[in-house]
Amino acid sequence: MPKYTVSEEGSYRSVMVELDRGERFTSEAGAMFRASDNIEIDVTTRSRGTGGLLSGVRRMMSGESFFLSTYRTRGGGPGEVGLAPTLAGDVVVIECSGIGGWLCAGGSYLGSSDGLSIDTEFQGFRGMLSGESLFFLDIEGKGQLLVSAFGSVKEVEVDGALTVDTGHVVAFEDTLEYTVGKAGGSWVQSFLSSEGVVMHFSGQGKAYLQSHNPDQFGQTLGGLMPPRS
Amino acid sequence: MEYTIQSQPSYSLLEATLGNGETIVAESGAMTWMSGNISMTTSTRGGVMSGLGRSVLGGESFFQNTFQAEGAGGMVGLAPGQPGDIVAHEMAVGSELFLEKSAYLASEESVNINTDFQGLRGLFNEGLFILRASGSGLLFFNSYGDVEEVDVNGSYRVDNGHAVAWEPSLEYEIIRGGRSIRSFLFSDQLILRFTGYGKLWVQSRNPRSLASWVFPFRPQASSSND
Repeated sequence: MPKYTVSEEGSYRSVMVELDRGERFTSEAGAMFRASDNIEIDVTTRSRGTGGLLSGVRRMMSGESFFLSTYRTRGGGPGEVGLAPTLAGDVVVIECSGIGGWLCAGGSYLGSSDGLSIDTEFQGFRGMLSGESLFFLDIEGKGQLLVSAFGSVKEVEVDGALTVDTGHVVAFEDTLEYTVGKAGGSWVQSFLSSEGVVMHFSGQGKAYLQSHNPDQFGQTLGGLMPPRS
Repeated sequence: MEYTIQSQPSYSLLEATLGNGETIVAESGAMTWMSGNISMTTSTRGGVMSGLGRSVLGGESFFQNTFQAEGAGGMVGLAPGQPGDIVAHEMAVGSELFLEKSAYLASEESVNINTDFQGLRGLFNEGLFILRASGSGLLFFNSYGDVEEVDVNGSYRVDNGHAVAWEPSLEYEIIRGGRSIRSFLFSDQLILRFTGYGKLWVQSRNPRSLASWVFPFRPQASSSND
């Protein structure tokens, strides 16, 4: 398996992925910021076992420019790829056992090892309610999943029930059940509290949450810019 | 001059302590605070052409500010425009260092900052010109996000927009991320491929990526046709 070294200090974490000869790795298309010269990069819209073009198009719809980059060493030696998200914050390596899968928020996916498949979980009506940011990637298989958090990351063992604002969900085990709903007693109340749409988790499993909401930050900055014509 | 770099690595600030008569030169706008007996003079350093080179071509400011302590000595706090790290680089006599524009923060007066033509490859990178530091003494440069030092031993790749500084013993060319048709169609990733032996500094974040990320959040202009 690849070796992962997450930078240890500060607000702008990144991860170095060291690949042995012949090993492959996949990341969100723009995540690579440095690499050894023997790394071969390919852009792909598919990953193991999850169909071709359609799957890629669905990924595109999931808010990210969901093209993936794959990396492979050539020439028989080891190689390295440095990955970093766009926004400030933490990077976490999640060990996927292969027994259960993970759901990862579209904007939080950074990379994954070769044994993992990536598919867009179709959200249907539940997803529509909450706007475009609520799309999840369905990660199955055994390997390592790299996720990024906007701000600091919090690891939570859910046992019972937990309510999380949708903008703060990074990734969670699919052993958890969830429903998308409102935080307050009524939609009006939820709207007025600006705690519009939340996810109610139940059951047992691990979840990673982020301290800051990228959409909120985007709206703060975007609101200061001239409008789109 | 003595200095400390505070709040590393995410919100680094350079605090320089100057003895009587000692100076430090900084990018204009970098001064955050200074003690009362520090005087500031603004000049184009190296002449108008040099200033023009830095500003029009190199993306830095036309003017540089020189801070000088008078009498008892004093302190000046210098911070870059973006959050990140600061590297203190001691330049040996006669050495040079290339800096991506906006990476320059401050230097001793014995260090000269000029521009260097990058040729057409600059069109695909951050600009046709970069900054060239020469001379001897301390040079401070900054990154957006973390800075990582890479010992290039033959060749190395850095994504466009993530190279901060490199030694002149390194050459670079611009290449595309992938070689396949798919890469050509779907990816606009450009990569700086460095070759040779020397030090290279890279940053873990890219201001341009942040700007493109924010762009879709702009409000929709209201239209009477709605």
